[in-house]
Amino acid sequence: MNMDGATTAPELTESEEIASPEQPLARPPLVLNRRSYGWITERISGAVENRAPRWWWVAFAFTSGIAGFGLFCLGYQISTGVGTWGLNHPVGWAWDITNFVFWIGIGHAGTLISAILYLLRQKWRTSINRSAEAMTLFAVICAAIFPGVHVGRVWMAWYLAPLPNNYGIWPNFRSPLLWDVFAVSTYFTVSVLFWYTGLIPDLATLRDRATSKIKRFLYGIFAVGWRGSNRNWRHYEMAYLLLAGLSTPLVLSVHSVVSFDFATSILPTWHTTIFPPYFVAGAIFGGFAMVLTLMLPARALFKLHDIITLQHIDKMAKIILLTGSIVSYAYAMEFFLAWYSGNQYERFAFWNRVLGPYWWYWWVGMLFCNCLSPQLFWVRWCRRNVLVVYFVCMCVNAGMWFERFIIIVGGLHRDFLPSSWGLFIPTWVDIWTFIGTHGIFLSLFLLFIRFLPMIAMSEVKIVLPESDVHRHDPVVPAEKERA
Amino acid sequence: MKRVFQHPSAPTSGRRYWRSADELADTPEFREWLEREFPSSAAQLNGDEWSRRSFLKLMGASVALAGFGVSSCRRPELHLVPFTKTVEWTIPGKFLYYSTAMPRRNGAIPLLVTTVDGRPIKLDGNPLHPASNGASDVFVQAAINELYNPLRAKRIAENGKTTTPAAFEKYLGDLRTKIGDGAGLAFLVEETHSPTRERIRGELEKMFPRMRWCVYDPLRSEAQNFATQISFGDNLRLVPRIERADVILALDSDFLDCGEGDIASSRAFSFRRRVSSGKDSMNRLYVVENRYTLTGAMADHRLRLPASQIPLVAHAIATRVATATKDSGLGSILATLQVPAGAAQFDEQWLNEAVNDLVSKSGAGLVLAGPQQPVVVQLLAYGINSALKNVGSTVLLRERHRNQRDNSILQLAGDIVGGRIKQLFILGANPVFNAPRSLAYDSTSKTWVDWPELQKKVPDVIRLGYYEDETSALSRWNLPASHFLESWGDALSSEGHYLAIQPMILPLFGGFSELDLLNAVMGKPKVDGPELVQETFQASKPNGDPATAWSKFLHDGFASHILLRDQPPAFNGNTAGGIAHNLWSPPGPAPTPESPEIVLVRDYSIDDGRYINNAWLQEMPDPITKLTWDNAALISPHYAKTLGVETGDLVKLTVKDFVPVTPPPAEGKPAPPAPPPSTPRELEIAVLVSPGHADNSITIPLGYGRASLTSVGESSGFNGYLLRTASNPHYIVADGKAIESIAVKKVGRKYPLSITQDHFSIEGRGLVREATLEHYREDNEFAKKIAGDDELPPQLPSIYRHPPLQSAQQWGMTIDLNTCTGCSACVIACQAENNVPVVGKLEVAHGRAMHWLRIDRYFASEHGYDQDKGELPEDPEMVHEPMMCQHCENAPCETVCPVNATIHSEDGLNVMAYNRCVGTRYCANNCPFKVRRFNFFDYNQRPVGKKKIAGALNVYKEYFAPFTEKGAPDTIKLSKNPNVTVRMRGVMEKCTFCVQRIEEAKIAAHVRAGASADDLRIPRDSFTTACAQACPNEAIVFGDIRDPESKVSKMKLQDRNYRLLQYLNVNTRVSYLARIRNPNPKMPDARKIGIASPNEKEEAKE
Repeated sequence: MNMDGATTAPELTESEEIASPEQPLARPPLVLNRRSYGWITERISGAVENRAPRWWWVAFAFTSGIAGFGLFCLGYQISTGVGTWGLNHPVGWAWDITNFVFWIGIGHAGTLISAILYLLRQKWRTSINRSAEAMTLFAVICAAIFPGVHVGRVWMAWYLAPLPNNYGIWPNFRSPLLWDVFAVSTYFTVSVLFWYTGLIPDLATLRDRATSKIKRFLYGIFAVGWRGSNRNWRHYEMAYLLLAGLSTPLVLSVHSVVSFDFATSILPTWHTTIFPPYFVAGAIFGGFAMVLTLMLPARALFKLHDIITLQHIDKMAKIILLTGSIVSYAYAMEFFLAWYSGNQYERFAFWNRVLGPYWWYWWVGMLFCNCLSPQLFWVRWCRRNVLVVYFVCMCVNAGMWFERFIIIVGGLHRDFLPSSWGLFIPTWVDIWTFIGTHGIFLSLFLLFIRFLPMIAMSEVKIVLPESDVHRHDPVVPAEKERA
Repeated sequence: MKRVFQHPSAPTSGRRYWRSADELADTPEFREWLEREFPSSAAQLNGDEWSRRSFLKLMGASVALAGFGVSSCRRPELHLVPFTKTVEWTIPGKFLYYSTAMPRRNGAIPLLVTTVDGRPIKLDGNPLHPASNGASDVFVQAAINELYNPLRAKRIAENGKTTTPAAFEKYLGDLRTKIGDGAGLAFLVEETHSPTRERIRGELEKMFPRMRWCVYDPLRSEAQNFATQISFGDNLRLVPRIERADVILALDSDFLDCGEGDIASSRAFSFRRRVSSGKDSMNRLYVVENRYTLTGAMADHRLRLPASQIPLVAHAIATRVATATKDSGLGSILATLQVPAGAAQFDEQWLNEAVNDLVSKSGAGLVLAGPQQPVVVQLLAYGINSALKNVGSTVLLRERHRNQRDNSILQLAGDIVGGRIKQLFILGANPVFNAPRSLAYDSTSKTWVDWPELQKKVPDVIRLGYYEDETSALSRWNLPASHFLESWGDALSSEGHYLAIQPMILPLFGGFSELDLLNAVMGKPKVDGPELVQETFQASKPNGDPATAWSKFLHDGFASHILLRDQPPAFNGNTAGGIAHNLWSPPGPAPTPESPEIVLVRDYSIDDGRYINNAWLQEMPDPITKLTWDNAALISPHYAKTLGVETGDLVKLTVKDFVPVTPPPAEGKPAPPAPPPSTPRELEIAVLVSPGHADNSITIPLGYGRASLTSVGESSGFNGYLLRTASNPHYIVADGKAIESIAVKKVGRKYPLSITQDHFSIEGRGLVREATLEHYREDNEFAKKIAGDDELPPQLPSIYRHPPLQSAQQWGMTIDLNTCTGCSACVIACQAENNVPVVGKLEVAHGRAMHWLRIDRYFASEHGYDQDKGELPEDPEMVHEPMMCQHCENAPCETVCPVNATIHSEDGLNVMAYNRCVGTRYCANNCPFKVRRFNFFDYNQRPVGKKKIAGALNVYKEYFAPFTEKGAPDTIKLSKNPNVTVRMRGVMEKCTFCVQRIEEAKIAAHVRAGASADDLRIPRDSFTTACAQACPNEAIVFGDIRDPESKVSKMKLQDRNYRLLQYLNVNTRVSYLARIRNPNPKMPDARKIGIASPNEKEEAKE
């Protein structure tokens, strides 16, 4: 297995490339070592075409085992009752909705990278957008499991659909849960389309390179007759732009709508107008952390250092720092407003968050993981140190889960009537359902990197210098004078 | 063939209509037709080529057998023929109401039974009779569950082997010849206050002159009966007239506990608690007790003291009263009593001011001593009442003639040890479980023996039992007892009214009534109808035509022609003094942490243990501790700290008798011989830290810890009877006489207790609002000015236009916290009315109790406490607040339901469409009152799930679904209210304001209006909800709030009326009336009374 492709030239580091004395103002290249089209095609298609490495099989067996047990837990829960989870009377939602919001949040980064960064002409997105989008889809699939199965009568969940019926009963359009259904399903649909549209040129590449008939047939079907003609590209570019435009508001709306589940209720700590922006920022925050969590190992395993460069990691770390700071500001503002409102129920609820039974969730999860750990990214060295980045990303992944848990269970377990205060203790079914969704998520991701190009080859090629028809070396003033 | 005279309509169980093609295909008619029309198909249906004759024969037999198949609860022969002619009055599906009565320890409670299609489904007080006035209590409400309990005794058994009624009849016939003059014959019965039983007993005594009749009930107050006899003479019963009392002093007396006392006392008390404005007056209640009781929770002043110190308090109070009144009767008792120097001292000012208050209301005061307190305390209480001229005004001496020649269980035990008893009939009681220990001294083996050994000595023991229990296991013959709803009978109320008991259903499991059995012992022909009762009734000489009088008796449920006579007050001070002198054993110094006292009390949920198999009662949170499914040793927070234990820790109690010792003679009976050393009595029990409990005192509710039970009562609680002896029925204290030492040792293990409310600090929130009467008079709008409320956002205008509520009648409710005692009758009434499932101990521990109506209980103390830091108040005030769906007009639950399953009705109800509910639980999350209940498992279909079935794996039955056996027992299905859906799993449920009753009333109004359709309104206050109906204190009032003349509208106009969490703009339809306490300003603890609501002044200080 030759993952290195044809090149034998000595590899340059990023800083060596930038520090060219002739081009002090030049932007650092997005692909290092002046890799050619051929190298990119070989390297990325190779991951799909070569035999699966042993680690892939081990990893897939492990994650699909977990996924299988998670599905067993779901089956058990559906057949037996929601009581198999640790829910009780003050705490009607706990890990189920925490997990839902957690996964939905993760599902944000992909479309943000694909759509918003695309519209903003951020070319560095090309090397990460494909896998980020795939991650989005898988995260939304994991997220969708929870609202689906958390209801008491799963077999009646279709009541949420606005189906015309002879009773004339419609869903309650005032309920944010219903908005959720629409928002998430729209988001998922558009994300799938967007992802698939982006895949078409690469699928065609795979088709053309396929060695077996079956592969050629299957990739051929999905490549929908792509020939790479001008016409093809014109339509493709327009469709991609339109979908990016369509996705952009969705990125903002989905998590805003999810936040309405809480914001439109009357519970102290839930009933806050800050939630929509706070949730969106949190989702991007958590989403980017998850992108890095997946991409850093993939980069190492498939030796993609030239495509996913430290520059990319640095940029994503900056976004994490920004959104983490927005989230921290929102946390602080919640406390301020609770105090400023003078409302004893609000004040108590926030005080309880810090000192109540779930105090350590707040101190560890929200304060340390979400507010403090991203602050490391003020330091350039930290942003460019893969281990530090990975540590912070893991903190953020955990912290964002804790944040949702604190919002949901923290708000529910002690509300208005002290007589009804309680605690939530997860059962093994709770825990394994959540772990199981990780299994599903990772299994799908492993399948994705095995069968589809994990990096958008066509798009990466576009950002290579040689793709620019007007490309020329910057004119050095001294040369100009000489001329 | 049993034909029951005047029996209510038989239900349908035969099929009358086919509901599906399959059902039709099963009928013989169809098969006959099929045979005729398509002979080949008919043969196919039978799987063989049979002749038409044999086919019909087979079908006939099948139909007959089908009858047997469903006959487990009913006699099939009565129902083979469907209602071809409708039984008079019966409209299928419509309720019929009959009167009856529930026999209880202190007198029967007149009832009205709701039956549908021949099944009783709900009990309520008989509104025609003052003893209940339509109200009831938890045991009345839970009696339906008791009737349909599938665990009941179902068979006649000899030595554990099932046999036939004929075999028993034969045995009884043989036995009768052996009885002779009855020298070896004894009956052990429970108190039922039945005149017919008294009459039959008389006949039995004529037949067997030397027989013994022993009335036994573990909680029956021998001391009180004896003291009454001494003080006032024979054939009397004291009837308190609490409504006439301005000042009440309760010495360890829980008279507001309906389960123990009677509903009338509670009603009478609340009658004087009800205020509509500051001008009204209230009674004042002083309570001295060791543990928080329902009475203590209502107290204006409460002194917590070890129960063993109550005699000294009684003495101290009596001394003060005697000084003030110079009464000779009381003086003559006091003269005989010596209080040793060094006895415990009490708060002098407390006692002085309480006595001053009592003395100043001479003739309008009342001193009540707890029935379990010793004779001397009873005598002192009577003496004080007599000195204060209360006897005759607030206490009546009601004549009550009964045969006084009862034996006590001690005497019976003596006779058994002496070998004098050959035939023993045990009717109902369960002495093997609950008889005092060391009952008799066996001089041959030189040991003290307990009841089980005694019972084994009797050759012929015949037991009539409601369950097959510990006593059945040691009896030769076991007969299933019938429920009072299955048998004819009669009883006297606590005040002496003559009440009818008539059956509502044939015995489900072929049980006998006590009267049946006694009649059979006499060898008289079996009666299936009311003949025995009728005979008694006719002997009372009713007016007019006997048949009409009898019908009226059954219709009304009581006989009004029997006059109750009261005797003039005459306290026999000298005799009382003499007896008091003999029985007085002055209490020693107060209990210490090393040597605490143990107090054994009646349990609020299961009484003396008789209701342990009743799942409704087991799951009813104890009104004080909120504990379900168990009992526990209640101790004060301070004492818990001393012992180093907390709630759930196991402790071991060891009681060692003093050796050698002469036990005090049991009330007026000859002293038994000196006992040899006995083994220490031990009990391992979980601790429950209970604020307001006296220090160095341990309270154990009795009746739990029964090893032999299965299912509901299985492994629930700890058996306090193991510590109980006849000489220490109420409290056990190391006094240096009978008891040498009491030790408490921490075991080091935990026991899981399922408590429904862990947090009892109100956290300075204005949820329960209360004030003193004085404060209320100064500021009658206090309930609307609660500290903290002004900081909440003002009510903002809504930008959403709510659809108007157009119905002419709008339903609402008020709950008067001033009269709510927290007795929990409403909780069980709601459960019975609305088919609320039981979830089991484990699920309660998970916080999944399903009660639609719960009672929140808070402790308020003068100095705030942070419960999170483990601070517990030592001597707090207790407040109760019933909490159910508040039916918000602007309901937060309705907007968030994605499927429109919870919506608002035109008449202002927040309604649930169970069929539409998918169970997102969002509504419950958004409910500020947390009253919505989610059916997490199929609670109506699953076993209660206490038992581990996979051992160490901690897997409980319900968790094994879908492999767990599903389905409710048939009899439990019979107990359901057919007008209320039985909810499945995954569905949210909650209080509906008994919408089925509203709809029924609406339909009736429409029927009445007929075609005219003028006034479709339901007549004012013509019906009410189950909780309001059950409430003995009329604390809950329900009705039409749009009608200004309705009771509820008038309540809502009162200045004490407030709504919870109004800042949320929810506009609740339920409102609360603030609580008023009436402390005596001169009392030392007056400042800490009426402090449950947040105080403006204290806030300002901070």
